[in-house]
Amino acid sequence: MGATAAIFAKELRVEFRNRQTIVSYLLLAVLILTSFRFAFSTIGEDHTELAAPILWITIFFSGLLSLTPSYKREVDERTKEGLLLAPVEHQSIFLGKLAASLVVVFGLEVVTLVLFFGFFPFAFPDGLALGVILVLGTLGFVILGSILSAIAANLTQAGVMLMVLAIPVLLFTVVLSAVSATSEIFSGGGLSDVDSEWKLLTVFTLVYFAIGYILIDYILEA
Amino acid sequence: MAGSVLEARNLVKSFGKNRVLKGVDLTILPGERYFLFGPNGAGKTTLVKVLSGLWKADSGEVLLFGEPMERDAEGIRARIGVLSHDPYLYGELTAMENLEFYGQLYGLSDPRTRAKEMLKDVGLYARAHDRVDTFSRGMKQRLGLGRALLHDPDLVFLDEPYTGLDMRASTTLERMVREKSEEGKAFFAITHDLGQGLEMATRAGILSGGKMDTESEAGDWDCFSKRYLDVMGGGR
Repeated sequence: MGATAAIFAKELRVEFRNRQTIVSYLLLAVLILTSFRFAFSTIGEDHTELAAPILWITIFFSGLLSLTPSYKREVDERTKEGLLLAPVEHQSIFLGKLAASLVVVFGLEVVTLVLFFGFFPFAFPDGLALGVILVLGTLGFVILGSILSAIAANLTQAGVMLMVLAIPVLLFTVVLSAVSATSEIFSGGGLSDVDSEWKLLTVFTLVYFAIGYILIDYILEA
Repeated sequence: MAGSVLEARNLVKSFGKNRVLKGVDLTILPGERYFLFGPNGAGKTTLVKVLSGLWKADSGEVLLFGEPMERDAEGIRARIGVLSHDPYLYGELTAMENLEFYGQLYGLSDPRTRAKEMLKDVGLYARAHDRVDTFSRGMKQRLGLGRALLHDPDLVFLDEPYTGLDMRASTTLERMVREKSEEGKAFFAITHDLGQGLEMATRAGILSGGKMDTESEAGDWDCFSKRYLDVMGGGR
């Protein structure tokens, strides 16, 4: 637990001292939302079918961008070997980095939500239902994104490779379920109306976590 | 050999068709300062990575403190230190934060106090709260040495330790290595600098073409130096 906490604290410290990277994630979120606002300039409160795709595309792409540096930085700064030589389980590295990535992505999500409701005239839906779906959807894509980021870290174009690897998998699992549930919520539904979706998102999250936890030994030693 | 801190038998390591290590045998005893020399491409860095457990050998065996790494990887890693070409430091963190972080990874009871001690030892206490990306190459290497010795390891691997070090930093390195080896800690270093290396070594070897060519004890450096020059002059 000590090593996980140390890696978590180190990741956040490094991330927040790299202000350029934090600004770039926020900037991407703002740019995506602005593009949609211009594309759907006549959008009204009743166009709820557009709310979920706009929200998730923004979260998904800015979130994925924030996942790239986590492992890539260790390769670029040549600190990966220092971590691997330390007497800690590779799972601690995975958990520490994952927890830090979740803090960053959830932070991004809060900003994105504020901007989203500022940019678009949608009424605020059931808060509990939206919160549950956002948390489960984010857990799912951050866990899988974190695994793929570790795999892509040794490649020159790690950011592009992460997108190439992550989008096909996440689109048809986490994103599809999250968008479907969020659409229902923006149409006035509550948590009970998205029962199957949140259960499916929970399963994806658990499966991705188990895969990452088991495979991280092989991924880091590759 | 009984009581050895490191014993390698018939190590073989290839990258594709390129066989880099072709059956290396090596034994290091407590308190020894073993320096390995050899031409570029002889396999020295590969050997350090295999011996320290970063890479697996294709065949052969490495025993650290009498045990293979797989038996107790974390226990063995806690007893070894590595100073490589790269000091394994985070540029965004301060010198103190870097050492504290590694202290936490190595499970030290009071990482902050230990980090302060080590910063004083390597002469960087005045820069403790400066970010490492503002340090010179030599300062980073000194801090890297502090990181490698932070947890008081029983066996330390030094891969080209003099690279980028000024005279003051080299003196610090040599002082710390001598002090630690008098306490029974063992050192395995690879370097191109024959003069500096032999001054520090209690035993030395030459690796050439992926094989151990020669080994000598302190006091027999004349023959060793001649052989080294032959190997270097003749290439591989």
